[in-house]
Amino acid sequence: MSTSSTVTVPNATPRATRRASTSLLTKRRRRVGVVLTIPAFVLVGLLIVWPILQAVYYSMTYWDGLTTQWIGPSTWWQALHNPTMWRALENNALLLLAVPFALAIPLAVAVMLHQRVAGWKVFRSIYFLPTAISWVVIGLVAEHFFAYSGTLNSLLGDVGISNAHTDLLGSESTALIALGITFIFSMIGTNTMLFLTGLATLDTSLEEAARIDGASAWRIFRHITLPHLSRFIQLAFVMTIISAFSALFSLIFVMTGGGPGYATTTMEFLVYQTGFNQSQFGTAALYGLILFLITAVVGIVQLRLIGANDS
Amino acid sequence: MNTLTASPPTRLRSPRRRRVTRGVIFIAMVVMAIVMLYPFAVMLFTSFKTENQYLAGHGTSTQSWHQLASSLPIFQQLLNSTIVCSASIAIILVVGVMAGFSFAKLQFRFANLIFLAMVSAMMVPLQAILIPEYVNVARFGLTNGYLGAVLVYAALGTPFSIFLFTTYFRRVPDELIEAGIVDGLGYWGVLWRLALPMALPAIATVTVLQFIQIWDDLLVGLLFLQNPAERPITVGLAALAAGRTTSIPQLMAGSLVSALPAMLVYLGFQRFLVRGLTLGIDR
Repeated sequence: MSTSSTVTVPNATPRATRRASTSLLTKRRRRVGVVLTIPAFVLVGLLIVWPILQAVYYSMTYWDGLTTQWIGPSTWWQALHNPTMWRALENNALLLLAVPFALAIPLAVAVMLHQRVAGWKVFRSIYFLPTAISWVVIGLVAEHFFAYSGTLNSLLGDVGISNAHTDLLGSESTALIALGITFIFSMIGTNTMLFLTGLATLDTSLEEAARIDGASAWRIFRHITLPHLSRFIQLAFVMTIISAFSALFSLIFVMTGGGPGYATTTMEFLVYQTGFNQSQFGTAALYGLILFLITAVVGIVQLRLIGANDS
Repeated sequence: MNTLTASPPTRLRSPRRRRVTRGVIFIAMVVMAIVMLYPFAVMLFTSFKTENQYLAGHGTSTQSWHQLASSLPIFQQLLNSTIVCSASIAIILVVGVMAGFSFAKLQFRFANLIFLAMVSAMMVPLQAILIPEYVNVARFGLTNGYLGAVLVYAALGTPFSIFLFTTYFRRVPDELIEAGIVDGLGYWGVLWRLALPMALPAIATVTVLQFIQIWDDLLVGLLFLQNPAERPITVGLAALAAGRTTSIPQLMAGSLVSALPAMLVYLGFQRFLVRGLTLGIDR
């Protein structure tokens, strides 16, 4: 097409010909480059980027899914005074208390695996196995573990605390604890996997040398292992926080349905409830944007982590 | 055994103390293994009881397995899951390979900027765009039939796929591509015949990660596959649980069936999963 002008240079010097042909190649390369990204551009543009822009518009409307009525930025003001939304944000904040456990337990597990005691490969496979199953399934099992006539209470009964019948999921003050524990369990496999990969890149001769010099196991962990793992711990930290904000839907859906009351309704579940149970699509879109803003902040941190290593 | 005799004499910790430490670690690992296997044990043992046996706490029966197919159209739902997974992964792979090759090797204008934007899309949780997404897909009548859910899964998986393939293709030497062009392969030929074979591990990683993710997902299937006959197994299970009328042993039997394919894929392709998870951090 437009390239014809560069090709038809009749009496060009050899040098100019070379330049012309390079630019022809470059042009072709660029054109192919653009063409190859078009499908990705369309897919991500239409199904991820465009809905974000739509959400901005719809967040300022009254919208029941059929009719839309423009209201304006005052919807945001209203949302910020909605106690239900603050309750959901509070639940999200409380769930962040689970994050240290979701990191510390896998860290301990990975360090133990790294000692390579007998059968460590079998243990490794066992620990990773729950990462393959759906959080719907984990939630179903957890529900029957925490239930009034469930495993937890029969375990407590076995140790002789039979009168301490707990009903974690049934009570508004404790349901979030049960959800948090299940969340920690669900994260163990992934985070252990991350830490173990980190440990595998650690130069064992360093540990060995420290041990020969008489350093205690704790000192070796504190001054050699932990600093080496810092990057992996950062990544796991960010991934766990993002999961806490955006991956609990399945667990909540099967374990509590957001209840009792709003005891286990997080932002992501509130988006679903507001949109599909109450048909307030405008408000739900607004809640989705708030969730987006929160994860964007966390996401920028992660991109910087990846990017810093990339260069 | 050998290591004990080979250990340097300067080592302060006695072999005996070391053995005790390793014994303690072993016991701790066994305890951890019991915790991690707990869900599987519960599913297995509970599924071999009747509702009454489950409540009473003893006895075994295969009744819930016989009745499973009547409360959960299990074969249809397994098929649905397979269709949705395969179609989505196919799109994710093709789109990701093409864009990844382009971003890595065909420096066009604003390529880096667009690449960054694409990778950033990885950070957008579905819940954040759920409402407009649902309305858009429903408006085109795509909540009936597999296509709507497939497109949503494909869009959600593509950013990571692009990231992975771009990283992989950057390792392909420029000279190789130039040689391919000089030989008249053209860019398509270079991509499919030279670059793609080098990216086979990345293809495996994307496939395994996405298979587990899509197979295990609830939200997209719940909303974007409105026709009950097209429900994937995970959604069918959650819907059954939400109904609260099914016996718990049957639910557990269903859970086990739904978990099995992803577990097998995971056990077979563990190393690809680990690679995908830690890509970009360990070189």
